[in-house]
Amino acid sequence: MDNVRNFCIIAHIDHGKSTLADRILELTGTIHTLSNEQVLDSMDLERERGITIKAKSVRMPYQSGSGEKYLLNLIDTPGHVDFNYEVSRSLRACEGAVLLVDASQGVEAQTIANAYLAIDAGLEIIPVINKIDLAGAMIDDCLLQLDDMLGLPGEDALLISAKDGTGVPELLEAIVARVPPPTGSADEPLKCLIFDSYYDSYRGVIPHIRLFSGSLRPGDKFMVKSTSKVFDVVEVGYFLPQATPCEKLVAGEVGYVGATVKDIGDVRVGDTIISPDHPETPEIPGFRRSQPMVFCGVYPISTNEYGKLKTALEKFQLNDSSIVYEKETSAALGHGYRLGFLGMLHMEITLERLKREYGQELVATMPSVVYKVFTTQGEVMMIDNPSKFPAVQNIDHVEEPLIRARIIVPSELIGPCMELSDAKRGTLIGMEHPDRRRVLLTYDFPFAEMVTGYYDKLKSVTRGYASMDYEVAGYRRGDLVKVDILVKDNQVDALSFISIRDGAVPKARVLVHKLRKLIPRHLFEIPLQAAIGGRVVVREDIAPIRKDVIAKCYGGDITRKKKLLEKQKEGKKRMKMVGSVEVPQEAFLLLQKLEE
Amino acid sequence: MRGLYVHIPFCVKKCGYCDFYSLPARLECAESYVQAVIREAYQYGRLSFQTVYLGGGTPSLLGAGRLKTLIDGLRKALDLSGLAEATMEVNPESATRELLEAAREAGMNRASIGVQSLSDCELKSAGRIHTAAQAVEAVGLAVTLGFGAVSADLIVGLPGQTWLSLRQSMEALLRTGIEHLSVYCLSLEEGTPLAKSPPSELPSDDEQAVLFEQASAFLAGRGLVHYEISNFAVEGRECLHNLNYWRNGEYVGLGPAAASHISGKRFRNRADLDAYLDDPTDLAEEIEQLNARDKACEEAMLRLRLLKEGVGIGELTARFGRDNVGALIGRLERMTSQGMLVSDGARYVLPPSRVLTSNPIFAEVLSE
Repeated sequence: MDNVRNFCIIAHIDHGKSTLADRILELTGTIHTLSNEQVLDSMDLERERGITIKAKSVRMPYQSGSGEKYLLNLIDTPGHVDFNYEVSRSLRACEGAVLLVDASQGVEAQTIANAYLAIDAGLEIIPVINKIDLAGAMIDDCLLQLDDMLGLPGEDALLISAKDGTGVPELLEAIVARVPPPTGSADEPLKCLIFDSYYDSYRGVIPHIRLFSGSLRPGDKFMVKSTSKVFDVVEVGYFLPQATPCEKLVAGEVGYVGATVKDIGDVRVGDTIISPDHPETPEIPGFRRSQPMVFCGVYPISTNEYGKLKTALEKFQLNDSSIVYEKETSAALGHGYRLGFLGMLHMEITLERLKREYGQELVATMPSVVYKVFTTQGEVMMIDNPSKFPAVQNIDHVEEPLIRARIIVPSELIGPCMELSDAKRGTLIGMEHPDRRRVLLTYDFPFAEMVTGYYDKLKSVTRGYASMDYEVAGYRRGDLVKVDILVKDNQVDALSFISIRDGAVPKARVLVHKLRKLIPRHLFEIPLQAAIGGRVVVREDIAPIRKDVIAKCYGGDITRKKKLLEKQKEGKKRMKMVGSVEVPQEAFLLLQKLEE
Repeated sequence: MRGLYVHIPFCVKKCGYCDFYSLPARLECAESYVQAVIREAYQYGRLSFQTVYLGGGTPSLLGAGRLKTLIDGLRKALDLSGLAEATMEVNPESATRELLEAAREAGMNRASIGVQSLSDCELKSAGRIHTAAQAVEAVGLAVTLGFGAVSADLIVGLPGQTWLSLRQSMEALLRTGIEHLSVYCLSLEEGTPLAKSPPSELPSDDEQAVLFEQASAFLAGRGLVHYEISNFAVEGRECLHNLNYWRNGEYVGLGPAAASHISGKRFRNRADLDAYLDDPTDLAEEIEQLNARDKACEEAMLRLRLLKEGVGIGELTARFGRDNVGALIGRLERMTSQGMLVSDGARYVLPPSRVLTSNPIFAEVLSE
């Protein structure tokens, strides 16, 4: 066990984490030829978005310069603000972290956030300046920032280029030298952390585990601490990066355990696995349960696929325990689920993956934060769905969730950044100058502003130079109203939204206008209305269609025109019926785009 | 009832809205083309036909001599002894007395003239190469030369068109004595020059609809029955050849891009003139053989285009069997109760108010 090193790489997005992982895999001979493909990012989506969503681990044999043989376990971590929870989970499986900083970019908001998480988890941090081969590398600035912003002494940092391999052998030596070996004994009772899992349709749930004490081998039994359910171990192994069975896993090691767990609810990521002979073994502490921050409704396009959606969500939650869901019924959309996510990116990625991996055609309603509604009866309700807001006369006041955001922005772009933040109801908390080029702004924002695209806007007004991270910061009272949308006199619950009173009518106007452009003309007139507390504030009408006809249909046209009609009909199947009106799915996404 | 369609894929110049298979400047092949068509006709042995329709392209570009060769050849190859109607599409600029006389001599008894409009501005904007005067002259000539039925095509929705100009076009045409009009709403077909760069003064769909409805009312006042979505005729002067399409009858199409429907099978020749000249007998593609249920739906869709005749429960049941039309008739009944169709208990017809919004109805009819 003394020769085992469990570590992860943490970085701001695009600072070269995956490239470094590839280089390390190559240097340790874990993989021999490397294309441009990044090995740890196996999901298409991850590669497309350039972020690692799911934590995974790879075991690598390594012989150090001194001739000593080691086993390195690289635990992959996601690198976006939404995924703090998954980062912290992965960090629990490590003793050390490589903190990667792009020499041309410097310390960014997520560098700070991730570093804090690692420090909190008690990890040994190895600061590394990457991309030193770039012409724009500002190594001295980076070293200064590490010291100033994170208290990491510059002399501890290594200088590398993951791309061409410079400094990477030295980094491996540093990992061996500086990351402490795991503690805990193979002779003590079993205690493992499930830090990830995947579902194999033949073998059931396969948890990824980190053993803190004891050992695990085929034929053993284990107990899931939270449920006390006991399972038989069929197989144990590790990732090379492909799954490789082995004789046993012992304290300090990282790997997987196959145990014919069929019910995906039985083994939750974050749970502790113990020995049934020692049910008193305590849970692994410090494991933070994530709080979903953003909710949206998800509905199958055709109502008969509700069952398929349920199965898909069950499987999905197995791979991502941070997602919560419960049944929801919408008058407009039928039966579906309300899903809770860690943040907007998490939501977007999850919905994409649901569609892709499970082949589900879905309607997703506009996301909402969780409001605290204080009723006149003195109750406090947590409302994650605008359509569930109590009637106006029953509301005493409403509070909305806040976040505290850290924004790093080049000094010359501080103007547009502050202007935007002000428009988005931000309260400036602090301003620091970590170096001569940049400003670190701290703001409190209503979280709802993140849902309506603050981050994208920030990126665009700062030409991509700003970076941001945030944490939850309680609730604040706001003058908020609910806006209802009526399509041909039917209230569309999925289009209701909450807004500050001042901005409600302009927003409603934009939404109604966009709906008018989006909903196809029907044979009858369709009035579109927005109402606040029963009072109509905006109205537009969709005029009835006058012409939808195939003028020419002769011998040569029949088959082609028939196909045209069938295509028209197919298009309608992708619409949602709201009363007698066919509403395209995109309508339910409009609210997110209101401010563009 | 079986119809014969012959496609003549030559044009002097392609019109802005046209998506038919026609090739400008390939007229030098006309001679060998006529021979190829006759060769293809022999494939259909001694099948008998009651109608012939020469369409295009511009059939009148063939010229008198080749027209005679073509018709003579077809008469030898096929059984045309029971011919009731023989239509030729004629474009005003090539409608010479010589050609029309030759057509009459060859046995053509119906002329369909591509007038489109009697406003020179509108003709120009549509890329037509004839004038209004030429068009009136061609129609008059055809009537004089004793074509039993003369029809003119008109387009609704041409750039710059107004109700006044449309009504003037119709009035001038009716004065020539014609008894059949095809009135088409302009549609921008994919790939046509008009679709690629639509002129700014193009009437909107709503304006087109208004113009068309005005035209329909006007023609009804002049005794022309709106018998198909785009066709108007004095009673008894309907186009038999086209009626056969809408009654889901059999037809053979000769020439590249021509479509056929025989023995329950639909197919069309590949749109490739050179391949056709090489071997006209082996170009069938897009072959479609439907089962009885789908076939019944298709027939109902087609017959509903016939605004007076519509589709009858009796004829559907007789042709396809009770088992294959149950669901279809159920749908037709439901649509009747929803006001999409009108029924007297035995037949279903499209209500006049739904003629211009018939696509959703047809789509519903087809959704077996």
